[in-house]
Amino acid sequence: MEPAKMASPKSAPKDAQVMAQILKDMGITEYEPRVINQMLEFAYRYVTTILEDAKIYSSHAKKSTVDADDVRLAIQCRTDQSFTSPPPRDFLLDIARQKNQTPLPLIKPYSGPRLPPDRYCLTAPNYRLKSLQKKVSSSAGRITVPRLSVGAVSSRPSTPTLGTPSAQTVSVSAKVGTPVSLTGQRFTVQIPSSQAAVKSATPTTPTVQNVLINPSLIGPKNILITTNMVSAQNTSNDPNPLKRKHEDDDDYDAL
Amino acid sequence: DRQTLVAVLQFLRRSNLRESEEILRREARLLGDDLGGGSVATVASSSPGVAAVAAVPPGKGGARAGAAGSLPGAGGRSLPAGPLGTWGALFGGGVVVEDQPDVSAVLSAYNQQGDPTLYEEYYSGLKHFIECSLDCHRAELSQLFYPLFVHMYLELVYNQHESEAKSFFERFHGDQECYYQDDLRVLSSLTKKEHMKGNETMLDFRTSKFVLRISRDSYQLLKRHLQEKQNNQIWNIVQEHLYIDIFDGMPRSKQQIDAMVGSLAGEAKREANKAKVFFGLLKEPEFDVPLDDEDEEGENEEGKPKKKKPKKDSAGSKSKKQDPNAPPQNRIPLPELKDSDKLDKVMNMKEAARRVRLGPECLPSICFYTFLNAYQGLTAVDITDDSSMIVGGFADSTVRVWSVTPKKLRSVKTAADLSLIDKESDDVLERIMDEKTASELKILYGHSGPVYGTSFSPDRNYLLSCSEDGTVRLWSLQTFTCLVGYKGHNYPVWDTQFSPYGYYFVSGGHDRVARLWATDHYQPLRIFAGHLADVTCTRFHPNSNYIATGSADRTVRLWDVLNGNCVRIFTGHKGPIHSLAFSPNGRFLATGATDGRVLLWDIGHGLMVGELKGHTDTIYALRFSRDGEILASGSMDNTVRLWDAVKAFEDLETDDFTTATGHINLPENSQDLLLGTYMTKSTPVIHLHFTRRNLLLAAGAYSSQ
Repeated sequence: MEPAKMASPKSAPKDAQVMAQILKDMGITEYEPRVINQMLEFAYRYVTTILEDAKIYSSHAKKSTVDADDVRLAIQCRTDQSFTSPPPRDFLLDIARQKNQTPLPLIKPYSGPRLPPDRYCLTAPNYRLKSLQKKVSSSAGRITVPRLSVGAVSSRPSTPTLGTPSAQTVSVSAKVGTPVSLTGQRFTVQIPSSQAAVKSATPTTPTVQNVLINPSLIGPKNILITTNMVSAQNTSNDPNPLKRKHEDDDDYDAL
Repeated sequence: DRQTLVAVLQFLRRSNLRESEEILRREARLLGDDLGGGSVATVASSSPGVAAVAAVPPGKGGARAGAAGSLPGAGGRSLPAGPLGTWGALFGGGVVVEDQPDVSAVLSAYNQQGDPTLYEEYYSGLKHFIECSLDCHRAELSQLFYPLFVHMYLELVYNQHESEAKSFFERFHGDQECYYQDDLRVLSSLTKKEHMKGNETMLDFRTSKFVLRISRDSYQLLKRHLQEKQNNQIWNIVQEHLYIDIFDGMPRSKQQIDAMVGSLAGEAKREANKAKVFFGLLKEPEFDVPLDDEDEEGENEEGKPKKKKPKKDSAGSKSKKQDPNAPPQNRIPLPELKDSDKLDKVMNMKEAARRVRLGPECLPSICFYTFLNAYQGLTAVDITDDSSMIVGGFADSTVRVWSVTPKKLRSVKTAADLSLIDKESDDVLERIMDEKTASELKILYGHSGPVYGTSFSPDRNYLLSCSEDGTVRLWSLQTFTCLVGYKGHNYPVWDTQFSPYGYYFVSGGHDRVARLWATDHYQPLRIFAGHLADVTCTRFHPNSNYIATGSADRTVRLWDVLNGNCVRIFTGHKGPIHSLAFSPNGRFLATGATDGRVLLWDIGHGLMVGELKGHTDTIYALRFSRDGEILASGSMDNTVRLWDAVKAFEDLETDDFTTATGHINLPENSQDLLLGTYMTKSTPVIHLHFTRRNLLLAAGAYSSQ
């Protein structure tokens, strides 16, 4: 993108010329030509929002015309919403003084990865597997492709992976064998429950496997997620081995 | 509710309805006591009474300080006698005014002071006086022009004399120094009182005192002149908004003054730079290095009797005495050394043995990593200490990690597979890695705004990134997923850095504060507030006890991690500071800003010791070589320059006068110190890194214009 020339072309509309002059007055000499369009758009959007608000206020006050007070009120309300500014200096100095009074906490040695309590981390699974009504089959070989698209819940509403009503579940699992049909609209995931040994081994690892995937990046294909060994039942029954032991979980609540 | 009460009281007072005012105040006081304020002080409007009240520090919200006029709630400041005198003359008797903790109180610090049309007269009168004064005093007294101009202009705007303000600005803005032009441009857009409300920087400018350093002789001259005039409005403004730090000695020359001024709050007061700073390095523990034949004496080094016994056992260390300038080992809690850290240190020492000794005769080779096809979206780069990985933060909110060694990036195996490996084997650390995920590039998604700062942890397990969305994210480099999002700044965060020992990290952003965090606390441990504008750059000192922050208010501050105090203020840059570098011995700090100069500071004495001119555009990268012999600087003007650091720091004059006043005479030796200029092909340099063997790596994004 080349930087714009200083003078705007003579055929530019008056508003665009005004914008170019503003940029020149503020000392900005190099800018992409689209900046003027963005500024125009912003100005138009802002002014129409304010004027619409002002119309509402004036009709609420049963006035016949919109006057300066309505506009002033509209501006004030919008400023508090959209254009917030950072806190004032005395407030910052005050909270800084408070924070800086507490001594630095001692560090416990040999405590593994030093992360905040689980509820402040992003390491929890962000999906839940629906358990089957019927008994889960015990054959380990039937772990079928846990082709579970996490983001698809939001991006492809036609694939209700998690929200499968039980009736359908029953019908699916009535079939012997494959619970998975990728072409079909719904599928459930069966995961054998004999994973107790795994959970205790590395409690941290399952939790960090759950990748926070940006739904917009999921294409038409489903994503293969490395299997989360959390069985559906276990999410509700046995959450403790999954959570890291943090005795002082509550210490962090107080300021 | 309280606000309306106060407003009503003031209205009654102004309308001279004394009795109703008394009644209302009596009743209001009952309510006010329930709200739990301080004691109410009724004060006679004479000056001594006012001074007594000034001794009661106005607390923030709740405490009532008696004084005429409403006071800004910032800190305990001495009250000027001038404007209060005028208010007192109007009211007489005892007056009580509530302390309003909101913004309007700050704004109303400007009382009606004299006739607005006469402001131009006052200013030009002062200008005439200064221009006619003796040469030696003129340079110093000229420092007054800028703050006076700004304060008078803002007062006219606040009191809604728009046309007078505009003509005042038109007439005098051309007289100001060239390095204030950016500020003046911002000021020219502030023409109404409403414009001032959202501009935090301007508000801070008016509530903080602009510091000027003037010699005693010049000050006497000025005082005598201002006090003998009939209308001493300027004297009132000087007393209210300026802090004049008087020193005994020769007045400074224009050159000396120009080197030190430029910041938004004037210079630094001398006592701001007097606190003791422990700039020495922490003792490194010694190890059994396989190739080392040093026999270990097995004795602990004796520390000074006052200092506590160091936690780490340093057997056979070369220097037996504790460095008096080094902080005690456990001044701040630091994480213990793990086995992997010890292995890393051994590797470091082996590499250090093969390090190239740099100097004017032996310049480093520079290896440049150019980011192609970034479309001006590359906003942050970091390289690990052992130079194995590069991370780039981009304007599209992604963070990309590359491996620059043949060894690819792998993530840890899944839980199922991990249960199958043999945990007792020697190469368990390799076995936990999943070969199927090996790749040279890993992309990390999570931020919702451009990523402005990235930092690797020293043990290469974690990566930090800070972004315009106001969060700092911690990523694991073993699973390449996001672990924590630290929310605290609600505004863009411009820079973040891990401590050299890991565990702590600092971030600085648009909200004008820097915060110290620990990875296992979801709230910051320390808040460093004091800058008047955005904090653009944050760096840890090598001993992890101090943090340097550079800001858009053109100052660099050094903060103590232990108690959050600001221990040094360095002024002198004429533009926002974008890069900081500590020397490896911890004694010096190099700073680079948009004005294209690199300034060198002695931390112990708090003085500027050098100025490196040469770059023509903003300096975004500064780095000292591993032993501190060479300083490399990279800039937007597409060059990397190498400077001789050894020569820059030798022969420091630290006589009594310099230490007392902080005035230096900088030699014009930038040309002698410049060892080389290396141009890139239209690629601004945004990161520099010396490998353990003193090879210089640089990074930037190719921009085609």
